Amino acid sequence: MADPEFFRGAQLLKQGAEARLYRARFLGKPTIVKERFPKCYRHPVLDEKLTHRRTVQEVRSILRCRRAGISAPVVYFVDYKSHCIFLEEIVGSSTVRDYISSTQSKSCKERELEHLAEHIGQILAKMHDEDVIHGDLTTSNMLLRCVLNVGESELILIDFGLSYISALPEDKGVDLYVLEKAFLSTHPNTEELFEKLLKSYAASSKRSSAVIKKLDEVRLRGRKRSMVG
Amino acid sequence: MHVTHELELFPDNNVTQMLFKEVKNAAELRQSAVEGKLNAALINPTMLVNHFQVLVAANKAVHLQKSGKMKTKSLYSEIIFNLSPTNNISEAFKRFGISDGDDAVMLVLVHSKDESQLVSDLAARVDGQQVPVEDLSSLSDAAKIKKLYKITPQEEKCGTVLDAVVCRMATKDVM
Repeated sequence: MADPEFFRGAQLLKQGAEARLYRARFLGKPTIVKERFPKCYRHPVLDEKLTHRRTVQEVRSILRCRRAGISAPVVYFVDYKSHCIFLEEIVGSSTVRDYISSTQSKSCKERELEHLAEHIGQILAKMHDEDVIHGDLTTSNMLLRCVLNVGESELILIDFGLSYISALPEDKGVDLYVLEKAFLSTHPNTEELFEKLLKSYAASSKRSSAVIKKLDEVRLRGRKRSMVG
Repeated sequence: MHVTHELELFPDNNVTQMLFKEVKNAAELRQSAVEGKLNAALINPTMLVNHFQVLVAANKAVHLQKSGKMKTKSLYSEIIFNLSPTNNISEAFKRFGISDGDDAVMLVLVHSKDESQLVSDLAARVDGQQVPVEDLSSLSDAAKIKKLYKITPQEEKCGTVLDAVVCRMATKDVM
């Protein structure tokens, strides 16, 4: 079992409904530990099963993305007993959310935002071409890191906790729909910018036409396909 | 010359790595390790990118030993197994363990803080020249590593070879 002392020395960064995030040093490197704690409101057997599956899915999707050349944090270690994932800390990064919020007000930076939106579109197209569905696309789950001696900054996808593998245009459409909702509600008056993102997605992905068609359908009916329950 | 790291998750365990060149008694060392008379993992340095790779394998081995879930018989064989990207044990020993004719070897041991004597005792059993662990980079075979771990050029765009290797080692049990 992992040493409880370890968590006492770690800094709690965030607590969500699903997991806690800690910052710590692990094997000498700055590390983020994602701990999926037990949920007492669920039946213990179900809880264990769900938590285990999500942990597994998360690391699988990260590896799949990295193999395809999409930046995601390196997995250092996984503890399937306490459901902890030890991930590379992306040092010196900021979220796309913060970047857009701070850039939006400056009119001279419009071109930069458009460039970023196009870049996001390309990365998401690549991810969907690998059949990875992120499941929780928001501008907070995308990080920007400045790359030294290259003018452009690198886009890193994080939080694959709700991700899964699927080739269905329906699932990819919903993935984009979730992003659209999150994007437009966090960043007011960015309809045009998001349109740029989608255009670049459509141009980069091999199978985008079916996905965009689905996205139009999903917009009319909402995220859930069946209305049962 | 050697490097010692503390395992943060298991604070009473230290991992020490020692690198040797021009080793003349590889066969003898390997035999002792197989018989359990040598308390260390003997690793073929051509398959190592960096000492961090060994550290990840050792941390996982100690973790699995403590939770009783090791796939191999001992802590040291588990370290070698953890380095491999596949779940095939004999393949792991073939690629990452040493062979009788090898002339370079990485010695890895897990010990408690007050067992530093162990380190020098073990070093004395190797008939070879100890070199700094940083010299790994000159011994490792990048092309072989990329082939075995199946690292594509596009993956190298989003990270180093070490990143790719460590990711595979950490996640291989669910792939």
